[in-house]
Amino acid sequence: MGEFKVHRVRFFDYMPSAIRAMAFNSRTERLALSRADGALEVFNFADSYFQEKVIPGQDGRAVEALCWVRGRLFSAGLNGEITEYDLENLRPKYTMEAYGGPVWTICSNSQGTHLAIGCEDGTVKIFEVLEETIRFQRNLDRQKGRIISLSWHPSGALIAAGMMDMIKVFNAESGHATHRLLVERGVGASKSREVVVWSVAFLSDHTIISGDSAGKVQVWDGVTGTLVRTHLVTKWDVLALSDESSLLAGTSEGTVVQFQFISSTVDQHDKEWVRTRTFKNHTHDVRALAHTDTAVVSGGMDTQLVVRPLLEKVEKNTQESALRKIAFPHRSLVSCGKKAGMLLFQFHGHLELWRLGESDGHGKPGDSLPVKRKPEKLIQLKRKGDDHICCSALSPCGGWLAYSTISSVRLYRLQYNGSNISITKVAKLPKVLRSAHQLCFSSDSSKLFASTTHSSVIIIALSQSECKYLHTLRPKSGTRQPVHLMSASEDGKWLATANSDCEIHVYSLHKLKLHCTVPVYSSCPTAMAIHPTTSNLVMVHADQQIFEYSLVQKEYTEWSRKLQKQGLHHLWLARDTPITHLTFNPRNPAHIIMHDTYMFCIIDQNLICKTFQVRSLFGVKLQTMAYHMEHLLCVSLLEDHSLVVVERPLLDIASQLPAPVRQKKFAT
Amino acid sequence: MQHNNNISGVPLFFHRRRCCSVFLFPALNQSRRRLMTSPAPKPAAAESFGSPLDSSDDEAPEEVTFQASKASALQSLKRALDTARREKELLKEKRRRRQELFQEQKVEFPVSWLVVSLKGNYTVQTVKERALASSQQQVALDFLQSRLYGPGSCRTTSNELLSLQNKRGRKKSAAVQFVNKGWGEFSNM
Repeated sequence: MGEFKVHRVRFFDYMPSAIRAMAFNSRTERLALSRADGALEVFNFADSYFQEKVIPGQDGRAVEALCWVRGRLFSAGLNGEITEYDLENLRPKYTMEAYGGPVWTICSNSQGTHLAIGCEDGTVKIFEVLEETIRFQRNLDRQKGRIISLSWHPSGALIAAGMMDMIKVFNAESGHATHRLLVERGVGASKSREVVVWSVAFLSDHTIISGDSAGKVQVWDGVTGTLVRTHLVTKWDVLALSDESSLLAGTSEGTVVQFQFISSTVDQHDKEWVRTRTFKNHTHDVRALAHTDTAVVSGGMDTQLVVRPLLEKVEKNTQESALRKIAFPHRSLVSCGKKAGMLLFQFHGHLELWRLGESDGHGKPGDSLPVKRKPEKLIQLKRKGDDHICCSALSPCGGWLAYSTISSVRLYRLQYNGSNISITKVAKLPKVLRSAHQLCFSSDSSKLFASTTHSSVIIIALSQSECKYLHTLRPKSGTRQPVHLMSASEDGKWLATANSDCEIHVYSLHKLKLHCTVPVYSSCPTAMAIHPTTSNLVMVHADQQIFEYSLVQKEYTEWSRKLQKQGLHHLWLARDTPITHLTFNPRNPAHIIMHDTYMFCIIDQNLICKTFQVRSLFGVKLQTMAYHMEHLLCVSLLEDHSLVVVERPLLDIASQLPAPVRQKKFAT
Repeated sequence: MQHNNNISGVPLFFHRRRCCSVFLFPALNQSRRRLMTSPAPKPAAAESFGSPLDSSDDEAPEEVTFQASKASALQSLKRALDTARREKELLKEKRRRRQELFQEQKVEFPVSWLVVSLKGNYTVQTVKERALASSQQQVALDFLQSRLYGPGSCRTTSNELLSLQNKRGRKKSAAVQFVNKGWGEFSNM
C-alpha cells in the first residue's frame, strides 16, 4: 500500500452554528434548515440526506422561522424582514420589511395562498403569495403581547397564535380574536414569570396543541376554548412542536417526545393524545423539529441534525432504519496548496492561511515524528461587508487566494520573501465576475475558474499581479441549478463541474468548449477528480456508488463496469457520511485516496476480485492502531507525497457550545 | 381642553391655544358669599373709599365696604389667577419642550441629514435608518437570551456535561479539563 508521512492537523477551529429553524417540504422531499449565523441549508432526503445547497448567512439576518410554499422558501427573522430565497442562485431573492418589529414566526396555510407572520408588536400580518413576490394584505386585530408562534387551521379559516401567558384563536376573515386560552404558569419560582407559548399546532379536528416554557404540552379544544389535557413533559421549556401523523415536542433537555392520537386501552374506541416515545439524541436544546413520512428530524443548539426513522414506518435492521447524525458539512472547507504545503481554512467571517510544519525524522508506521518547524498561521483575512463567505480557494503554488460572497469575488496575490509574506488585493476584477458558487485554480496556477449562474464557468487568466477575463463555459443542458463541485485536471486539459441536477459536465480547456456530459446518475455526485495520466474521471455519489468515466473514449471504463456488475461491499454502502474529497497517488497510478467524516481509505484498482476491496488504513473504528483519528474535514496529498489529514474532534466543538440545562443524574 | 384647579377648588377651563382664555368666576360668587358672611370690613379699604363723614344710617357704608372688599377680593383673585396662570404657563412650557424632544427622537422617515455646523457647539449627525430596527432586534434577542439562559433557567456548563459523560460512560475517565492535552499548542495561534 505504501508508506506515508502524515501531517495531522487539528488547528482548524471549525465551529458549526446552532440549528434555529427547520421546514420539510414533503412534495419535493427537501428539508430546509436555518442556522444561528443566518445560513440556510437544503438537504435532499430522497438522496441519502445529501446537503444539496448552502446559502451563506449575513450579519444581522437572525432567521427565526422558515416556511415552504410549494417549492418556494421563505424565512422571517428578528431583523423584521421576510425573505424569499432564490434556490437556483443560492441567495435571497428579495426581502420585505414587515413593519411589525422583530418577526418571531412565519406560517403558510395549507392551500399555499397566504402567509401569516407573528410580530413583536402584537400583530399577526397576512401576506398574499403572488407569482414572483408576496403582498401585504391585512393585519389581524392587534394584541397586547408579542406573537411568538402561529398555526393555521387546515381549512385556512382560523389561526392559532401562541403569545405570553395565552393562546388566541383568530378568525382569518374578520381578523377578530374568537377565543382566548389562558395558559397556566409554572410552579414555584417560575410562577412570577410569564409563560411563553413557544409553539402551537392547529389540527383539523379543531384541537390546538401548545408547548410552553413551563415544560407543558397542552391539548385544547379549539371550538369551546377549553383545556382538554396537560402533559408535563420536562422541567425546562418545550421549544418546538411538529405535527403530521403524530405530534413531536422538542425540549431544552435535548429530548424529543412523541405523542400519538390513539386509544389508551385496546378495547376502548375513545382516542386521545397519548405520550408514546421519548428520543434523547441531543445534548442541548432542541429548537427545531420536522416530521417526514417515516422519520423524526430534530436539530438545535448542539448543531447536529438528527434523523430518527420511526420503526413502525421502515423495515427494521436495514440501512433505512438507522439513526443518522449529520454533524459536518458535505463539502470541503479546506483548500490545499499542494506544491507549497499550505492550507486555507474557510470560516464564514474570515479565512486563515497556514503553512504546514516540517519533520526530518523517519520511523516505522504508527510513530510520531519529531517536528522540526511548527505549523504557522501566515494570514488571517477578514471578509468585507455583511455577507458571509460562500466559497474559497488557494492555488497549488500558494501564490493566489480567492473567495466569494453573494455580492462580490475577491482575489489576492501572495508573495513570499523568505519568512515574510505579503498579500495584495487584485483591484480590477472583470465585471462579469460578480459572485461565484465555487472557485478553483488550475494546477499551474495560471487560471481561476469561477462557477456562476446556470452552471456556467468563468475563466480568468492570471499573470504576475493581474487578471484578465478569458472565456465563459456553458453547459448545453439548459440547467438552472448551481455548481457545487469543480475539479481541474493536473495536466491543464480538462475541467469537470457537477451541479444539483446531478449533471456532470466536462470542458476541454484547450478548445474552451464543452467536451462531454457524463450520463446522469440518479444520485448527486459528492466528490470527483480527474486522473493525471489516464484522464479518467472518478466520481463518488451520495448513495456511495463509484464510477469511472474515460474522458478520451467518452464512456465508462472497464473497471467501472466490472465494479457495477459485482456491486459494492455492503459495509461500504452502509456508511452514512458522503465522500467529500478524492485524490490520486502519483507514486501508484492504481490508487485512489478518498475520505468521509469517519475514515479515509485507499482503493487499489488492481485488486478487484470477487468483492470490492477496500483497504482501510486509518479509521476511527480500528482499535489496533496506536492512535485514532477524529472527524475528518479533509485528507489531501501534497507534492512531496506526504498526506495531510485535517481533523476536528467533536469534543472541541462540544466544549464550545452554549450552556446546556443542568440535569440531575442518578449517582452524580 | 385642559383642566386645572384654582385655589378655591373649583375647576377653571383654559383653551389650549392661548388665543382666547375663558375664565369662569364661580369663585367670585363664592368669595362674595364669604364676604357676606365675614365680620367687619378691612379698615384700609374703608380709608381709600370711605369719606371722613360720620356714618349716617342713610349712607350705605357697606357699599363702600363692599366695593373695597370687592376690590381686595378681586385683587387677591387676580393674584391667585396670576399664580395659576404662571403655573399653567410653566407646565405648558414643560410639555412643549417634552414634545419637541419626542419629535427629535422619533425617526419617522429615512432621513439623511447633512452635517451642518451651527453657531456654538452644536452639530447635526446622520441618523442610521436601521438604528430603530436594530435596537428592537436587540430587545428581542435579549428576551430570548433571558428566557433560555437567564435567571431561573437552571443551566450548567459544557465542561460539566462532558465530564459527566466521561464519568458515566463505559470507559471512565477524568473530568474534561484534565483529559484534553496533546494538541493545545497548535489550537490558539
